[in-house]
Amino acid sequence: MDPERAGRRAECDGGGLVMGSHYAARQEFTGTLTGEYYDEGDPPWRWYKMIDLTRKPNAYPFVSVWCEADSLFLIDED
Amino acid sequence: MSQDPLHTKLCDQLGVEFPIVSFTHCKDVAVAVINSGGFAVLGEAMHTPDEIEADIKWIRERVDGKPFGIDLVLPASAPAETSLDEISAKIPDSHREFEQMIMKKYDVPMPKESVDLHQWGGLSQALGRAQLEVLLEERVPVIASGLGSPAFLLDAAHERGSLVWGLVGRTRQAKRQLEAGVDAIIAQGFDAAGHTGDMGTLSIVAEVASIAGDTPIIAAGGITTGRHLAAALCLGASGVWTGTLWLACRESDIDMIIKERLVASTAADTVWSDSISGFTMRVLKCPWTEEWKNPEAPRPLASPYQMILSSDYIQGANDARRGDLMTEASGQGVGFVTEMLPARQIVSDMVEEALGVFDDLVGLPD
Repeated sequence: MDPERAGRRAECDGGGLVMGSHYAARQEFTGTLTGEYYDEGDPPWRWYKMIDLTRKPNAYPFVSVWCEADSLFLIDED
Repeated sequence: MSQDPLHTKLCDQLGVEFPIVSFTHCKDVAVAVINSGGFAVLGEAMHTPDEIEADIKWIRERVDGKPFGIDLVLPASAPAETSLDEISAKIPDSHREFEQMIMKKYDVPMPKESVDLHQWGGLSQALGRAQLEVLLEERVPVIASGLGSPAFLLDAAHERGSLVWGLVGRTRQAKRQLEAGVDAIIAQGFDAAGHTGDMGTLSIVAEVASIAGDTPIIAAGGITTGRHLAAALCLGASGVWTGTLWLACRESDIDMIIKERLVASTAADTVWSDSISGFTMRVLKCPWTEEWKNPEAPRPLASPYQMILSSDYIQGANDARRGDLMTEASGQGVGFVTEMLPARQIVSDMVEEALGVFDDLVGLPD
């Protein structure tokens, strides 16, 4: 847990590989960070969990999204 | 003007003659551009670590020590993992029926084999990580991230002598990456092929260049001529990132039917559509994209639902080589891709035209 980020509103300039293709594609989210995070591998690649999504792609099927740390922008910071 | 206007800080960073970067999924194109004085970045997002390692070796054997780059799509967000069956079960009947209507109306053949939709969600992080390990191990001269921020890998890359580039669609992404210390920013505008941000190339290149300091900016999106190159340098870029330009070149391995469509197309033949993947991306118009624009059509679903819906159409059209159905990612500069030329000539034509522009504007020394 990262208590400093818990409850913070943020935007995520997200996206990834389009499934079944070699194309990259962006997806934007706005929501609240839970403070939960995990690090993938070494050097650590940090991911934060975002819930209460007020902006998400049309028909996005989930209630949460994991966002890469450097693709997150805290709303009250910008 | 006392200097060669095409000799930029990007040329110095890479040790190349011209500030032209080819982004390609074809190794032959990459090698041809590198050996013509430009620079090439090979897109390897869909390849396994073993395939990437083999491709790096293949390129190294053919470029005589000249630098090259490898592009990965590092994800920037990831939903919870779930199975394809679970996802497929949630696609509304109305969308299934619309898909079937298109398949029937255009007599689209079914794919020869079931479409292999690669896994997604958390697995994309693990895959990205494994691909990255190969690039670090191989000390690839340039590691490019085609989407997510590469900030986390900067130290590891620099320790191995690799440069790291990040592709951005927004100025705030560039600012974040510049603060982290990336070695170049690719500022990609709305004119580009595939998925783009919503800022035009003119706007994003100028904005990012204004905050970049000494870090080279590479302009991307709709760039297919020497005039585009000259304009990009005037905007503050140090080079151009070009993709569509190489799709129809002689060395390119894409289907000849698509090459013929590309050389016959103009910007108006491209469409920014979310009907294929659920992500908006610029592609050549085809019946699938046009049908989803009809007012009666259902609203395209999010990724990955829409990709599952479109996959039979896309693969069926490709398998049958139906030029009337096929599509390909294409930028708005496609109107200037009018011949299937060798890569070397494309580089040469672009350089000559850009120099001509500068000569007309300010005069070049003899």
